[in-house]
This record gives sequence, structure tokens and C-alpha cells, in this order.
Amino acid sequence: MEDLGLKIFGAILTTIMAFTVGMTYGGIVRKLTARVQNRYGPPVYQNFLDLLKLQSKKTNIAHGFMGHMAPVWIIIAAVTVLMFIPILNGNLWFPNLSFHGDLIFLLYMMVFGSLGMALGAGQTGNPNSAIGVTRGLSQMVGYEIPFVLALVALMIQFQTTSVQDLTQVQHETGVWNAFANPFAFLAALLASLGMFRYSPFDIVGAPAELASGPVSEFGGKYLGTMMSGGAVFAFIKLTLYVHLFFGGAGNPDDSGILATLAGIGILLVKTFLLYMIPVFYGWINPRYRTEQAIRYFWGWPTALGIVGVLWAVFFN
Amino acid sequence: MTDLVKENILLNAVTSAFKIEGKVIRDRRVEVHADKNTVSSILLFAKKQLGYIHMNHMTCIDWIEQGEFELVYTIYHPVDKLTLFVKTRIDREIPVMENIDTIWDHANTYEREMREMFGIEFPGLVGEHDFILEDWDQIPPMRKEFDTHKYAAETFYTRPGREDAKDVREELSKRSGTVVPDFAKKYSRE
Amino acid sequence: MENDKNSQKIVDYIGNFARKHSLFVLAYGTGCGAIEIPATMTSRYDAERFGIRGAATPRQADVLLITGYLSTKTLKRVIRVYEQMQEPKYVIGFGSCTVNGGMYYDSYNTINGLDQYIPVDVYINGCMPRPEAVISGFVKLQELIMAGKANNGEKYRENLEHYRSNQKKIIKNWKMPDYNW
Ligand code: SF4
Repeated sequence: MEDLGLKIFGAILTTIMAFTVGMTYGGIVRKLTARVQNRYGPPVYQNFLDLLKLQSKKTNIAHGFMGHMAPVWIIIAAVTVLMFIPILNGNLWFPNLSFHGDLIFLLYMMVFGSLGMALGAGQTGNPNSAIGVTRGLSQMVGYEIPFVLALVALMIQFQTTSVQDLTQVQHETGVWNAFANPFAFLAALLASLGMFRYSPFDIVGAPAELASGPVSEFGGKYLGTMMSGGAVFAFIKLTLYVHLFFGGAGNPDDSGILATLAGIGILLVKTFLLYMIPVFYGWINPRYRTEQAIRYFWGWPTALGIVGVLWAVFFN
Repeated sequence: MTDLVKENILLNAVTSAFKIEGKVIRDRRVEVHADKNTVSSILLFAKKQLGYIHMNHMTCIDWIEQGEFELVYTIYHPVDKLTLFVKTRIDREIPVMENIDTIWDHANTYEREMREMFGIEFPGLVGEHDFILEDWDQIPPMRKEFDTHKYAAETFYTRPGREDAKDVREELSKRSGTVVPDFAKKYSRE
Repeated sequence: MENDKNSQKIVDYIGNFARKHSLFVLAYGTGCGAIEIPATMTSRYDAERFGIRGAATPRQADVLLITGYLSTKTLKRVIRVYEQMQEPKYVIGFGSCTVNGGMYYDSYNTINGLDQYIPVDVYINGCMPRPEAVISGFVKLQELIMAGKANNGEKYRENLEHYRSNQKKIIKNWKMPDYNW
């Protein structure tokens, strides 16, 4: 019974942390973007204010059942995926529901939110939403291929389909997977550019072209909920990458307060640095068209992914 | 200042071919006055024989005192860099003019605008009657008998001005000791 | 938002604080004034430091910025956009043209006085107002929001008939639903 209580407490803690970190990162990115453009920029907590404002709107309009459910769906998907991601390796405060094979499960679950979004956007009947959804799904087809190839390379190399095991391997050997299989790492890194949807891959929500695409009919609470879901998802992707390629964070043998805090610190540093890669890439790039984006992902990233798989098969 | 050789050659070519009046305005600008029935032949002649392949503009002027509309066709020669104005007058009471969008497609747009703004009919003109205005039920607004000030005052809500607002003209003349000229008096507040 | 006792609860203060610092602007570029919006948003004047940022669609927007003269044809679209926005919603009339018609006061095709057709929170005068004036207008709006005085969305719904009759006087061929949410 105590065990269950601890687990629930841990789950809530994980969710709150993911939400806070994701939102703050968004704010930091806005501030940094402003500084790059020689502006003063909004405060770092601006995203929280936006969220609070969206949630305190007086009227909120929905266009039918799926329009109602889409934000909820996104939140559900985000929290579910979060439960399967190890926040700190083997830490008792952040328990997770990992099992053997959860990497494959995660691959499926991560598109679940986008699916809800697609259904909800479809019901609003706004043509911009429909175009946005098609673009989003096409782009997903683009970046999923190098991403999956990179994960397959890791699975073959270490003969496991568990995120926990992959982290544990890095912890034991002391070699990060980014160096153990550099080709797979590069493929996954390039795929992450599309995953975070910064320029040049912001073709889904292009504000000037598509009036923010799939979310164009969602306002108020719906938009706010979607924003929180997106923030959690950003944290999820970053943490997953850190655990897969950068040796994870946390010490499995020590769950004391100090060790946990140190683990969180390391995780934040790693995720933030990783987050800066798509953001930096975005600052210096204008927007691609859909077919350019897909061609990009099916070019070098896919080739690197295939080399990564071959590397995993023949050199280990 | 050039000696306007090209301009005079053009003027002669057009006026002698159609027996009409015309003049050189300045360098690179030539105008001819044509009868309303010959306009399309002049335009075709200019386009096919003289190489005026581009129509810049087409507009209308309301001469209410003379009871006429004046239509101006501005066409352009891209090699010689000459502009030819073909002007014609039509009756204000029965404003009908030949449709020339078979010569230049984009004349269609100008003609629709004139139909809407001046009420000139172009037989055979294809296009919606509502072009820039929506649901317009008055006389065409660019005609000079249309009192736009009165219409605006009746239709829209004018905001009353400030109590202490002063008439700019009067104030300035008072300050500088000059007299407001007669033609400006009708614009004064008093 | 003020309640019926003309006072605000703590929740209102928190909500108003958030609303004040996060204004999503739908810049409806009707007239010449739209050219000042890029200047206001970009690095020289940087409106984003006040939490002002652009919104792409009326559903997401809080502030409708009418930048200049409104022809009767555009008014129809503005009304649709305004009614699609979610409350609390604010309108800023930008430029002399929205105040009293400006230099188009006697035009047959542009309205004089925007507030006869939709409620306006803040007017910024000038032809055209400079970015400093625009920002001061936004600051004024923020003050109104914090004081709970900017509830024109409700006012519009309550006086819908008044506004509708004014609107229908100009838009003779009314084909829209009576309130398009
Ligand atoms: S107020 Fe002046 S600048 Fe603004 S729309 Fe009117 S005429 Fe243009």
C-alpha cells in the first residue's frame, strides 16, 4: 500500500515537473529569440501568464465532441507517455511503469496526441486546420523514418527494447550511446529538428500562411490545454533523447535528496543544451515547404540511420 | 529638351489615318481626340500597326457642366517609350461605350469599375455588377451630382467636434493679419 | 472584471493580472495604419516585452486592433471577426479615421466613428499614430483591464440590438446569422 502511495506521489511530482520545465523552456526560448533579434523580450514566465489568461477566458467555443476531446486527448497522451519515460535512472522519487519493450510502445504512443489533434482539427471544419493536419502528418512521415531507424540501431546494438536498460548500459559502461553509435545519434538528432517544429520545420502551424494551422479554431481553455500538453511533450522528447543518447541522469544506487537534486540538475543541463539545437537551427532558417521538409528527412538523416543500423549489425 | 520628332511622327500617323485632332503634350506624351465610334479602331490600329501593345490605364472624367463624360485610354509603346492618350467624349444622359476587353483583357477590370462608379454601360461586358461597392443603392458615387458629404452625414454618425475647436483658416489669418480669400470662405466653420 | 457590487475578488485580480500581461492581438490591417504594426512589434519598439503578441485567428485573440479607416465592406468582416472572438475581448481603434472618420470624414464608403458599430475600449488618435502612441494605448488598455473596466464583450451582448440596428443601417443586404459565435 505504501508502495502504491509513493508511486502516485511520484507520478504527480513527475507531471508537475515536466509541465513546469517545459513551460519554462518555452519562455526561455522566447526570451532568447528576442535577444537574438535585438529585442528586450518578454519575461521568462510569460508562458505561464499566457496559460493563466487562456484558462481564465469567459467564453470558450467548441465545435462538437472531438473538438472538445482533442486537447484532453493531447494531455492524456502526454501524461501517459511521461509515465513510461525514466526521469531519473532508477530513482525512487520518480517511479515509472517501464517494462521490456516500452521503446516500441513509446513509438506508438507519441503519435497518439497528434492523432487526437488531427481528429479535433478535422471537426472544426476550418480549411486551414485541414491543411495544417495534412502537413503535420506528412512531416511526421518524414521524420519518423530516421528516428525509428536510429532506435532500431540501438535496439540491435544492445539487444534490448527497454529505455531503462539502454540507460543502464550507458551507466555501466560509461560510454554514451551518442558515441557508441554516432550514426544513429546523428539521424535521431536531425529527426528531432522536425519533432520540435521550430523553423525551418514549422510548416504545421505557420501563422502567416495557415493562421496557426490545426489550432486555428481553438481558443481559450482549449488552446491553453493544448499548450500545456505541448510543454509536457517537449520535456518528454528531451528526456527520452537524453536517456537514449546522453547517458541519462541520476544514480540508480542512490535515491537520497542530494543525489536526486544533483540528478535533476544534470538532467536540466542536458535537456536544455539539447533543446538549443533545434532552436539555434531555427533562428537561422526560413520555413521549408512540405515537400522540401520531407525530402530533407528522407535524405541524409535516413541515410545516416541506415548506416547506424549497419554499424550496429556488423561492428557489435 | 528634345525636338519631339518621335512624338510628331506618332501624332501624324494617328491623326492622318483617322482624320482627327490631336497634340503633343510634352516629350513622350501625345494625345488625340477621337469620336466615340472610332476609339476601338484607333486602339486596334495603335496596337497592331504601331506597336502600342500595352494599355496602362483607362479612366473617366465627369464634365457635368457640358453634360459629358470623357473617357481616356492610356496606351504605351515599350520600345519607343511613348505614351498615347486617346480621349473621347460620350453623352452623360445615355452613357454607353464600346467594350474593348477583346483588345486588352485587363480592360475588363477598368470597365467594371467605371460601370460601378459612373454608371457607364459597356454592352457585352462580362462580370459581377458589384465590384468594389457592396449593396450600393444610390446613384453611382463618382458622378458629380452625388453629394458625398451629405450622404456621409446622413448615413454615418458624425462625432460632434470639440466645443473649443477653432477654425484653422480664420485663426491663422487673424494671427498673421491677412484676409481669408473669397474662394476659401465657403469652407469656413461659420 | 467588476462584479455587480463594483468590486473585485482576489480571483479577478489574478485573472486580470494575467489578462493584462498577455494580450494576443489580432491586427486587422484595414487602413494605412497597419504599417505601424511591424514597427511596433519588431526590435525598435518591441511590444512583446509587455506580453503583446500577434494572434493568427480571432478565436485565439484578445485584442482586435482596427488600424485605420473602415469601408462599409470591411465593416462586415470586422463584425464577423469581432463576434468570433472569445470573451473577454477588447477593441483598440487606431488612428483618427476610427475616431471620427479622419480625412475620410465625407467619404461615401468609410464609416465615421467605430464605436457606433462595435464597442471600443481605447482610441489612439493621430494620423497615423507613432509606435510610442500605440504602446501608450496598450498601456492604457492594461490599466483598464486591471481596474476591471474593460468588459465590452458583455456590453456588446447586452446592447446587441442597438449595435445591430446601427450595423444594419449600413450593411443593407444582411446575410449573416444574427450572432455568429
Ligand atoms: S488615420 Fe490617417 S493614417 Fe490612419 S488610416 Fe486614417 S488616413 Fe490613414
